[in-house]
Amino acid sequence: MTPYSILIVSPLVFALVVLVGNAVVRNIFTIIFVIGLSALSLGNIALFSISSELHLSHLFHNLFILLDIIVLFYFLWRGVVSKHSLVIILALLQIVLYGVVITLSPKLISSDILVDQISSIMYLVINMVGGIIIVYALKYIESEEFSRLKKNGFIAMLFFFLAVMNFIVSTNNIEIFFLLFELTTLCSYILIGYRNDEVSVKNALKALWMNQIGGVAILVALLVSILQYDTVYFNILIRIIDVNYLLPIVFLAIAAFVKGASIPFDKWLIGAMVAPTPVSAILHSATMVKIAPYLMLKLAPAMSGFVSITVTLIGTFVFFAATLIALSKDYFKEILGYSTIALLALMMSLAAIGTPEAITACILLIMFHAVSKALLFLQAGILEKNFHLKYVNDINGLVNHSKLVVFFIIVGFASLTLPPFGVFIGKFMAIESISKELLMHPLYVFALIFLALGSVVMTLLYFKVVAKLFAKDVDLKLPHVEISKFYTIPSFLLLILLFIGIAISFEREFLSSAQIIVPLVLILLIPILFSTLLFKNAHRVKEYNCGEKDGLKLGMYYFYLTERTTKSISAVSIIGLLILIIGVLL
Amino acid sequence: MIEILLILFAPILGGLVYGFERVVRARMQNRQGPPLLQPFYDMYKLIDKQSFIVNPYHSILGVMHFLTLWAVVAFVILGGNLLYIVFLHLLSVIFIILAGFSVNSIYSHIGSNRELLATLAYEPVLVMLSVGFFMLNGSFDISVIREHTSSIFPLFLLFLAFLLVIPIKLKKSPFDASEAHQEIVGGVEIEFSGVFFEFIYMAKWLEYVFIYLLLLLFAGNNIILGAGLAVAVFFLVNLVDNSTARVKMVHLVKIVLGIGVTLGMLNLLGLGYV
Repeated sequence: MTPYSILIVSPLVFALVVLVGNAVVRNIFTIIFVIGLSALSLGNIALFSISSELHLSHLFHNLFILLDIIVLFYFLWRGVVSKHSLVIILALLQIVLYGVVITLSPKLISSDILVDQISSIMYLVINMVGGIIIVYALKYIESEEFSRLKKNGFIAMLFFFLAVMNFIVSTNNIEIFFLLFELTTLCSYILIGYRNDEVSVKNALKALWMNQIGGVAILVALLVSILQYDTVYFNILIRIIDVNYLLPIVFLAIAAFVKGASIPFDKWLIGAMVAPTPVSAILHSATMVKIAPYLMLKLAPAMSGFVSITVTLIGTFVFFAATLIALSKDYFKEILGYSTIALLALMMSLAAIGTPEAITACILLIMFHAVSKALLFLQAGILEKNFHLKYVNDINGLVNHSKLVVFFIIVGFASLTLPPFGVFIGKFMAIESISKELLMHPLYVFALIFLALGSVVMTLLYFKVVAKLFAKDVDLKLPHVEISKFYTIPSFLLLILLFIGIAISFEREFLSSAQIIVPLVLILLIPILFSTLLFKNAHRVKEYNCGEKDGLKLGMYYFYLTERTTKSISAVSIIGLLILIIGVLL
Repeated sequence: MIEILLILFAPILGGLVYGFERVVRARMQNRQGPPLLQPFYDMYKLIDKQSFIVNPYHSILGVMHFLTLWAVVAFVILGGNLLYIVFLHLLSVIFIILAGFSVNSIYSHIGSNRELLATLAYEPVLVMLSVGFFMLNGSFDISVIREHTSSIFPLFLLFLAFLLVIPIKLKKSPFDASEAHQEIVGGVEIEFSGVFFEFIYMAKWLEYVFIYLLLLLFAGNNIILGAGLAVAVFFLVNLVDNSTARVKMVHLVKIVLGIGVTLGMLNLLGLGYV
């Protein structure tokens, strides 16, 4: 058995195992299994040969076709049951297109499974970060009011998701890729609607039809690829593609934009907030949305000229626009959601640039964005469960109640913006590689401006929230709550991963050693100064308040975006996508 | 060796510039003004003061602001990567902003808010400036930029954009709304006292060193041009400071972002074509 087949098959089997049994047994088994999965994905990168290929037998292909038909008809059925015309139309469209695709038999054959370096890195992200989130979910789901079967089913669903993700980053066949793409859509549909109340069902349907657009885009790409290039394999398509006829690549890129919840497809990811927090955590960090940059990385070698520039410009524009929208939000998870959208768009544009440096930056962003976002979403879950806090404006002075949660949130945000953390290095290299492109093509100047504006707006956004954590509030009285070990240990593990990231960038010399050590020392100095300086002797005074004795209650400030601004942001991104399609057709 | 000395004495150098500036400003207003060493007399007096603190986070973040800024200046002097320096500088600004938010004072909060908005305005200009140097010299490294000939003409529009940034960073009129003594009592500085205020005070001096070192990059390896540039900009900034009124924060952001980014963009486009 090769490592990748274990990574794909074992979570499927394990998903069936966790369905039965009581909570304690399930928890123990899950923790052991997650450790095993992480070890295997680590071992895969360290011990086994990086690239392996395999052609699946005819039986498997028929099985996949059957599965695909079942999934598509399930979507149709859901559409009919909930009387959602968009879902019905898109499902029918997909069934028709898929029917056409399976009747054609392209001649150029390659291997169905192709595990390369990027897949191995994706395994790490999916299994380690995803695994940690599942461990966190063990406790979280117990506090929901579900039946035992439904609680176990939730964990099982998450494992199923991991299996699908492990498979999707291993496949080289676009037909199989389409099946797995639809399966992740299915997973997200079920998980978002897990609470089964009115809002959940509505948002789950929204996620369904938006992701179906991605499915349609893949089918169109498949069709064009078969008719024009006589193949359904990524590696062959990329090798033989004609630079003047990049239509399949463009449609696959659009599928990536949909999965990555890029504006104008952002609403589904934001709607996913209604689900239990581990769902958001896993959607935003380890799974689902990470398909987008992964797919772009796969397509990167085939992108050139017009397509590369347009995708980069759309991506950087979305990066800027999404951070701007986030600035006007108050709901903690929504802020995190929009910053995910922004960073994903950045990853996609880096992949589209396609220089070795840009690709490294993209991979760094994929890895460390997953870790940082998982950490932040776990804290969002703790805030909701333990402190019943959802809005940033209410978290005033949390530092007096739970130093640990505040610490994690600060580290989470800091790791997304500041040196020497992985995401910072990614962004830093992004600016470097765009500057290099700028020498070739003047249009990249807009990408640079969007990137510069976007990253500073992002800093503004994050530290607006962090500042709120520090601010003292006279009114805030929270009951003392003990935070469960199931919540804190996963957070600590993610923290360790962040620092391992610094060690890796130190070793790989993404930055010079001084550039990594100096900020690290500076950040570590804060706790040291805190414990050594003797503040006991210092005189405490109250703030200068013009002689007023009443305590101040300081609120949060927002940046109000008018309806017109949000509409024009969507309009610009839709026009961008249209330009992409029309430009390639001409 | 000389670099090490420069780094060690950077705060003192900044203090001298600051003292000299007060003299010049006073003469421009037909006043006698304080002696050149007045900033150091202030420092000496502050050491003696009893230290009052509002909360420990606040004081420590203030110290961190100073230390990070010192590291930034060290990187500039040692010829580090310009883009990286811009971001490390951002870290130092973030420390002081967080310090401002960590106390429950309305002036401190307004000051921090304004500081954040000011960062929003000038940060893209600094990033574009680094990219401009990169396109011209093929490297972000300051040591490489210093070896090349002067880039003031090819980067003239970016130089103008940088001139807009200087008053923000040095808290000079018309872009000094984030400090605005008469209005918000110094903004983030208000709650610092005694020894901890000394750090904020010295950080201010380091900011001078940082800005003028960046300015010198435009001169490249031409020392005479560099000296001339520094003197000319010094007088220009103080003249403008003395003769303009403070603009509102919203206008500051609009002016600096609008004009600065447009100038930067035109300059980069020009570099790409020529």
